[in-house]
Amino acid sequence: MSRPVRYAICILVALIFVLPLLAMVVIAFTPRESILDDGASLWSGDWTLANFSGLFGQFPVWRWFGNALLVASLTTALSVVVNLLGGYALAKLRFRGRSTVLLVVLGTLVVPVQVVMIPQFELVARLGLVGFFWAVILPSASTALGLFLARQFFIDFPDEIVEAARVDGCTTLQAFRRVVVPNARPLVAVMTLLAFMAQWNDFLWPLITLRDPDLYTLPVALRLLQTAYDNDYGGIMAMALLSSLPLVLMFVVLQRYFVAGISRSGIR
Amino acid sequence: MGAVSLSGCAGLTRRVSSTSSGSTDRVTMQVYGTDVETKVYARLAEQFSSERGVTVDLTVVPFADFATGVDAGLLSGTAPDVFRVDYPTMGLYASTDQLLDVTDPLEELAGDVRPSLLRAVTYGKRLYGVPQHVDTSALVYRPDVLRDAGVGAVPDRPEDAWSWEEFGDVASKVRDASPEDGSAFAVNWQAAGAFRWLTWLFMAGGHLYDEKLEKAVLDDDAGVRALEFTRSFFDNEWVPRSTSTKSPTYPDAQFTAGRLGMLFAGNFLVPAFADTIGDRFEYAVTYQPRDERRASELGGNAIVATRDSGNPELAAELLVYLGSSDAMKQFCEASVLLPTRESLAAQDLDFAVGGDLMGVYADQVSTIEDRDVADVTTPTFAEVNVDLANELESCFLGDSSPQDTLGAIADKVDAAALLNDGAAP
Amino acid sequence: MTAPTVAPAEVSPQGAAMTGSPGQARAAWGMLAPNLLLIGVFLAGPLAWAFAMAFQDKRSFGKGTWSGLDNLSRLFGDDVFWRALLNTAIFTAATVPVGVLLGLGLALLMNKALPGRGVFRTIVYLPIVVSSLVTSLVGLLLFDESVGIINGILRDLGLADVSWQSDGALAMTSVVVMTLWSRIGFSMVIYIAALQDVDPQVIEAAEVDGARAWQVTRRVVVPLLRPTTFFLVLVNLIWSFQVFDVVYVMTNGGPGYSTTMLVTYAYDEGFGPARNFGYGATVGVVLFVIIGALTLLQLRRNARAEA
Repeated sequence: MSRPVRYAICILVALIFVLPLLAMVVIAFTPRESILDDGASLWSGDWTLANFSGLFGQFPVWRWFGNALLVASLTTALSVVVNLLGGYALAKLRFRGRSTVLLVVLGTLVVPVQVVMIPQFELVARLGLVGFFWAVILPSASTALGLFLARQFFIDFPDEIVEAARVDGCTTLQAFRRVVVPNARPLVAVMTLLAFMAQWNDFLWPLITLRDPDLYTLPVALRLLQTAYDNDYGGIMAMALLSSLPLVLMFVVLQRYFVAGISRSGIR
Repeated sequence: MGAVSLSGCAGLTRRVSSTSSGSTDRVTMQVYGTDVETKVYARLAEQFSSERGVTVDLTVVPFADFATGVDAGLLSGTAPDVFRVDYPTMGLYASTDQLLDVTDPLEELAGDVRPSLLRAVTYGKRLYGVPQHVDTSALVYRPDVLRDAGVGAVPDRPEDAWSWEEFGDVASKVRDASPEDGSAFAVNWQAAGAFRWLTWLFMAGGHLYDEKLEKAVLDDDAGVRALEFTRSFFDNEWVPRSTSTKSPTYPDAQFTAGRLGMLFAGNFLVPAFADTIGDRFEYAVTYQPRDERRASELGGNAIVATRDSGNPELAAELLVYLGSSDAMKQFCEASVLLPTRESLAAQDLDFAVGGDLMGVYADQVSTIEDRDVADVTTPTFAEVNVDLANELESCFLGDSSPQDTLGAIADKVDAAALLNDGAAP
Repeated sequence: MTAPTVAPAEVSPQGAAMTGSPGQARAAWGMLAPNLLLIGVFLAGPLAWAFAMAFQDKRSFGKGTWSGLDNLSRLFGDDVFWRALLNTAIFTAATVPVGVLLGLGLALLMNKALPGRGVFRTIVYLPIVVSSLVTSLVGLLLFDESVGIINGILRDLGLADVSWQSDGALAMTSVVVMTLWSRIGFSMVIYIAALQDVDPQVIEAAEVDGARAWQVTRRVVVPLLRPTTFFLVLVNLIWSFQVFDVVYVMTNGGPGYSTTMLVTYAYDEGFGPARNFGYGATVGVVLFVIIGALTLLQLRRNARAEA
């Protein structure tokens, strides 16, 4: 393929891929009257901030932003620790039942969340977690994907490093803490991004388990808007933009580490 | 970031109060609704708390998820003490013994509510909730569009309501006059509104269930007539094809956007119309057409208390308060909804907006008959409603014949009716 | 950090890995404990519960009664279930191969130095971080039949409206398109990461113009990427079978049953107004079994290919 052709294809692909995002941004700034009169359009020419000011008047946006940040951060921290430990054990330690554990973990990967939602809720409620952020944090702290990623990463991890630490008199756990974790930074980067993303974007589970407007997270507002009677595309897109922006920024900044992390995390 | 650390405490080490059940001086309440409605709920809750010296913890949830939250809460004992519920869903909760019996506390209210509406909150002769308001639909239209299409007079008295044939002529004229292959009108039977199709069945003189609520009877001549007529909405391109019963979007936006000449719309949309249409075009409301009889659907919501409420006395008291003449008046006036108390219905309420439209709606409500209410408040009606949406769409957009469709609905109604035991009031 | 100075000969890492000591087993279970506890309590438990409900006649608050295989036999006679299964299969067939192949194509295309490559890549990656709810809502905005952007563009071009929402095949198309949009970036990022391990000379050969490039790509590069492809096919398969948000928001399963999927059907039965927990759980469990079987099949095929 010649270079100009290659370039042209890239531009075409980029245009197609950017269209939905562009639509979100443009409509978020389009006045409601304009959408009502002429339909949603990428070049209506009218601009307004009214969609955003409307949101700030309707929801405690900052508080929900803070809640989302808190919940996603705690989940991520817990999830990274738990999955690092588990993944390492599955990859590097020999014990009876290892393959069974791996199979069970992989099995949970194929469970559709909607199917277990009712029993899961009943459980969370019986544990007295409803109304606590923990109701959201604990069930999503251990993800099969995270554990699997960690295992794949550690399988390729050089045994020599660990053995060296063992010879220096470290226990398994000490060796893990002192030499394994510091060498697992790319993995941690990937796991952090994936876990944070998943938790930040969740809306249905926080809505039913937190059950209090003081505890709601930002994407819940999106659900509230989406199910309102009037299809207020301007308001919905403004909220979609607000709730996506933190992740988009985070991703643009961390993208390099993300790719590097994946290339070393053994999914390949 | 002050808010973060504050909320951090509340959700991490301390349970937020709205999710534990009530106590001697605290009651939890869950509502959904439009902006205006939820604001009035907040005001009423505040009035009640200051009058009684108690706390009301109010939670607002989306309508689409309210039942999931309540279900889960009921299963696990974390349900709100008091919650808002639509009449069909209420049937399910009442019939499974989840609600607080409020027959005695609400005696005064019961004496003032029209029997057919009271029936919507009554199960096995016991009262389980406050019928807070009733909604129904009427035909909202644009006088300019109808004029331009050559439609002469629009009925301004109930007895002049268009017959189906007259309405069909109007629809054809409006369709022909609309620019770029536009449509004439839309019906608000999407998603949970599928039961609004029953209005056409009732108009044709049919019913969903037999009088004992044991068996479906809609597959008779009246049913065929109603379904053939409503299906012709699509065949004649009177309505946009995207406004069938399973559409993920509501058609109101198409009316407010000025793309339709007429819209069957609930009165609860009146504030939204005032807001989004503004003075971009003129609009008015007339009666739904008539066939064998006039009809209208029973919409609206009730306020109920959970049987296992932490403090049933206080919960019942809150219900009594919300059902009081004063609270119902405030609620209905601000949100432009129709009161269920006869004493209020007789008064001229001072509606926040669109008061001039409400006379027609009030008249539509008066066409609701006892048996119509019984049809839509069986314990399994909520699932019948889903079947209606599915089957009607296969007739409107697919190639299922009216007879087959009615037969399929009847089969599902019959299967569900087996579970309706003990429901008849 | 302790520097790894000991020569491998002194202790055999291989040996240590093959024979686990009791101490090692203890450490392993200790390290796995938090994970297993969380998975066991919050996932395996509820899953077992769902399995139990599939064999009960249980509706919302009533007490469940054991009903044996009643739910299953109803399932096999349920036209909507078969339709949902067919739709899910169509959706999977439309999203998995295309999603993976386009990811590979774009990765090869954008792997080479190119001015502005970073920008192109970022644009394709970005949908990864956009939530499925946002994706679905944007999809609704694009494909809305009356006020949507795509029909607006078509109208501006003087073309007729397309019935994205009221035509079954087109509704399915719109759902597939939005799904692909949100997924291709992930396939691409994984492939790009994998390409970093492929010998640069091989890649160069694949990038030379002419017929040979295609040959090298097909005969050398693609086989080298086989493990990556395996991983991507597997996760895409699982995701496709679990599709929910996009369908729920964009089409609500309609028009008719044209886009009803297994998960949306299970959700409607179990959480919808019917609250038929038993039947909803049955649909879910059958779905779980199907995905599980497909996954095992994939794993086995992969193992055989590797051997």
